[in-house]
Amino acid sequence: MEFKEVVGRRRSIRYFLPWRPVPREKTQIVLEAARLASRAGNADFARAIVVERDKLSKADLQALTLPVNAGMIEMAPVHIYWWGDLQAFTRDMPSRATEQVNMGVLNISHGWTHKFVNEVAYPQVVQVFSSDPVLNAKVTGCEAGLAISQALLAAVDEGLGTMLCTYPEVPARKVFGVPDHWTALWVQFLGYPAEGWEAGGQRPRPPLGSLFHEGRYGTPFRGTEEVAAQLRAQKMLQDPAPLPWRKEEVRAVSRMLGLPEE
Amino acid sequence: MSANFNDYRTVQVWLQGVHEQSGVSPEADTKRVQVLTEFCSRVEKQPDEIIDDCLRDVDGGGKKIRAKGRRFYADKINEFERQSEGTSGEKRQKANYIRSFLIHNGVLIQTSPLS
Repeated sequence: MEFKEVVGRRRSIRYFLPWRPVPREKTQIVLEAARLASRAGNADFARAIVVERDKLSKADLQALTLPVNAGMIEMAPVHIYWWGDLQAFTRDMPSRATEQVNMGVLNISHGWTHKFVNEVAYPQVVQVFSSDPVLNAKVTGCEAGLAISQALLAAVDEGLGTMLCTYPEVPARKVFGVPDHWTALWVQFLGYPAEGWEAGGQRPRPPLGSLFHEGRYGTPFRGTEEVAAQLRAQKMLQDPAPLPWRKEEVRAVSRMLGLPEE
Repeated sequence: MSANFNDYRTVQVWLQGVHEQSGVSPEADTKRVQVLTEFCSRVEKQPDEIIDDCLRDVDGGGKKIRAKGRRFYADKINEFERQSEGTSGEKRQKANYIRSFLIHNGVLIQTSPLS
């Protein structure tokens, strides 16, 4: 699938075929996409525990269930519990930056030397960020989020349904035995959609200019209708929700799965 | 118990929600209410009482779910489903009418998909 169409087709899928397993190679592709995402200092912010639903004990599944994830956690055959590594920046940046200087990724042209890494970038930037819990959480969440975003798009490209949802951190720590310096982010559900891939249509978003500004705050970025038309042709911009048949679809899918349909 | 279930505030909220959000016609309301009547008789509660058991007022306005009440009715609905007559799909549909009644009245309640 072309990139723009993948972006355009991504939806939060909330109905999965519980009985149809996800081929292991597709899960691997999703994880590879996450592994290759942009990340500050080339540090390992994004961490994950991948589980097959049917390999979780009933008690563990129950422990991971919240009112808001309850339906999906039982329907989706694969769950990826995403975590952020709060030590990633301080732990990984010095060695990774050094490696990148050696590889010609970080260069003299931009002021990078081993000396700069060790005497400026690490002590004056990374350590300052990491010693402030709010800044550290901000960086970790943002960087891990980039990986998670690629994982979502890779899942769509593989023909899977996917979505992010919350999970309870304390029970999840117990179930998965993760290190204390990991912080819970989102659970990504993977499975084959039980609803149409359109899932009722593309979700509404405010106009470009109300979200993005040009030059300074208050000056809306203005797109052109020509570009929008091009993106519609390339399937990045799609028919908006609700598609006319959505209510019937929800009732039919709910009935099939035995969920409340009205 | 009230002679006419449609007079209960929570039943009106439910049916209005079903029509508006799910787009179903009121034709099947009689059946919906009949199933709710059956359930209410089983638990010996009126519809408004069931919702009151599941929600409490919070300071500053709004409602909060009473976990104990919700758990109680979740179990009762599961029991209602098991003990109802019909195919597994028919039993589930009856139980889902009750879940729908709770959901439209602000009580988040879910069930496992049929496998």
